Amino acid sequence: MPKILNSYRFRRFKNRLFFGICLACVIIAIVPLLSILFEVIARGASQINLHFLTSNVLQGGIGPAIQGTLVIIGLTSVIGIPIGILSGIYLAEYGNNKFASTMRVINNVLTQVPSVIIGITAFGLIIIYVTGTYSPLAGAVALSFMMIPIVARTTEESLKLVPNSIREASLALGVHKWRTTISVVLAAAKSGLITGTLLGVARIAGETAPLLFTILGNSFFFQGFNAPMDALPLRIFLNSRLDAAEAQSAAWGAALILILMVLALNIGVRVASRGRNLSFKVT
Amino acid sequence: MDNNAKMQSINLNAWFGTKQALKDINLSIKPNAVTAIIGPSGCGKSTFIRVLNRMHELIPTAKLTGQVLLDGEDIYAKEVDPVMIRRRVGMVFQKPNPFPTMSIYDNVAAGLRLTGAKKGKNLDEVVRRSLEQATLWDEVKDDLRKPGTSISGGQQQRLCIARAIALQPEVILMDEPTSALDPIASAKIEKLVVELKRDYTVAIVTHNMQQASRVSDYTAFLYLGALIEYGSTREIFESPKNPLTEKYITGEFG
Amino acid sequence: MSRIIDRGLEEQAAFLAKMGELTYQILDISINGYLEGKSVEPEVRELSDLLVAMGNKVEDQTFQLIARFQPVASDLRAIKSYMKIGNDFARYGRYALDIAVINTQISGLKECEAATIEYICAMSDKVLSMVRISIDALKKHDIELAKTVSQTEREVDKMYLTYLDGLIHKEQANSKCVISSALMTRYLERIADHAVYVCESIVYIVNGEKVALG
Repeated sequence: MPKILNSYRFRRFKNRLFFGICLACVIIAIVPLLSILFEVIARGASQINLHFLTSNVLQGGIGPAIQGTLVIIGLTSVIGIPIGILSGIYLAEYGNNKFASTMRVINNVLTQVPSVIIGITAFGLIIIYVTGTYSPLAGAVALSFMMIPIVARTTEESLKLVPNSIREASLALGVHKWRTTISVVLAAAKSGLITGTLLGVARIAGETAPLLFTILGNSFFFQGFNAPMDALPLRIFLNSRLDAAEAQSAAWGAALILILMVLALNIGVRVASRGRNLSFKVT
Repeated sequence: MDNNAKMQSINLNAWFGTKQALKDINLSIKPNAVTAIIGPSGCGKSTFIRVLNRMHELIPTAKLTGQVLLDGEDIYAKEVDPVMIRRRVGMVFQKPNPFPTMSIYDNVAAGLRLTGAKKGKNLDEVVRRSLEQATLWDEVKDDLRKPGTSISGGQQQRLCIARAIALQPEVILMDEPTSALDPIASAKIEKLVVELKRDYTVAIVTHNMQQASRVSDYTAFLYLGALIEYGSTREIFESPKNPLTEKYITGEFG
Repeated sequence: MSRIIDRGLEEQAAFLAKMGELTYQILDISINGYLEGKSVEPEVRELSDLLVAMGNKVEDQTFQLIARFQPVASDLRAIKSYMKIGNDFARYGRYALDIAVINTQISGLKECEAATIEYICAMSDKVLSMVRISIDALKKHDIELAKTVSQTEREVDKMYLTYLDGLIHKEQANSKCVISSALMTRYLERIADHAVYVCESIVYIVNGEKVALG
């Protein structure tokens, strides 16, 4: 082998080359996020004003979309969070059997199901058989199909992080198991649960496909549980297919609002999970 | 049946799945005395003590035959609620485990609050009395609102003892309570154990033979799940009757 | 499994074995000196002082072992007994010295009748054999051997009391003989007692029984 390939200088060069390639890849990976942010801010920032945020679509605003997104997140949470947390509690505290193992697998699969399939299923199940019309409830149910598995899984994991010694301590005092779970275990896993909930909400906040099938979109503000409703992702989608320049701009504005919301939720998750690792300090 | 025993196991056998952990144990725990249970690792002493407060059955594959009497009545009888037994037979664990989300005050009061036993009781007084009995009051009386985990290991263990005492159990079980502590903290706990026997019946599992000889009045030696010898601590440590006991306590194995 | 404390115990046992042999030696010299009328006091005194020093060393070692190793059960019994036995062996030495002293101060058996001399010889033999048994049984921790002193002890006791009785009732011409032999038989009887104590300790070491062999 030629001497040059063994020399120290060449080895050093190889090290630096490798490092350089990794660094370049990181930069390439970040570029899409930065370009998204840049593009959305550039095109959407000019749209933001009070009128834009509060008027209905015919007046050139995205008020209904913002309201709708908040409504749908609220409804989904009301359904998804309790069911998700209670499922997570079952899996963590009572789930030492085959049934629970099966449920876990199904749960994990559900997190991977494409959202468009969830949407079309919700359409078939709820809109056709139950409500007969487009409905925010159907939308909430569809989105909860996506939220529940996430909340359940993070709840289970958070509860499993609580050392068994805590449960034993409570049980040894003669506290019933359900009381132990609620007052001791859940309390200890609180920050984990909050993180899980925020994760669930962040996941569904920007979903479009299920909403297409269940709430369709609306130019006006909330019109009851049996009528179509607007939402930010829908508004972006619908507006982007129109030729009018105002519609296009409004879409960009909506996109900015949506991305800010998602960013805020994700940052919220980071902040909430920061406290988590400190709760089981051992002296 | 031993009429002088606070707790007594009769023909006790216990399994984890197919593995037998306890073989035909007949052992008495005398009232207002400290009974030490010694033996090499894996001899079944922790299993035995968890049978006494019905914690053994919380493990999924656990099985058990025989009787365990508390004041003459079988705690494993059909109509007996394990939760009620655990209120009469308290337990302190090897690693101190105060509730991390609660303050020192709340930790001690936890037993009363979570079991609904706080009715008609002055919690402040109960907390104070329990901490005093656990010789922790003077060290924490100004810091009752601080988290239960903010104190040292030895103090945490005494907090756990206070928590157990707050419910006024009849028996206190201790599973290697000083294993995780430094010598000075251990010495404080040992002194506390000897004081506790005035008001409670104590059973302590320990792998430290000197500790057993220091704190206990009676000693039981378990080996491979069987009770090899039981007697007053003086007898056991001066002239044990069984050669296996002799070998173990003089350090020839284990 | 060999333990840390084993070395200390073995050293202690070896030391006591050595001490035991010395006690036999000193008693042999002193008793024979008395019986033959030879003066042996300086030699015996030296050995006796040595034995006392050794006894103290045994005691110190005992406390060392207790402080360092927290012994229990048979170890504890052994250590406690070794200290007692060290004390008993030192006593052997002291009695040997006492015998040598009366030999020098008063006299031996020169002034006595042949029958008396024979009697005391026989008693001395028995006592020396008991001392021998105590030393050997200790070396081997042999309970059976240790228990054989019982019989001889009874005999020695009987011989002692009989002799005293005889002294009281007999018309004695020679007061030197009377006093010397009375003291001698007394010392022999005490040496026999200590031999019994040593053997009782041996039984205690081995099986924790507190027996009375005397």
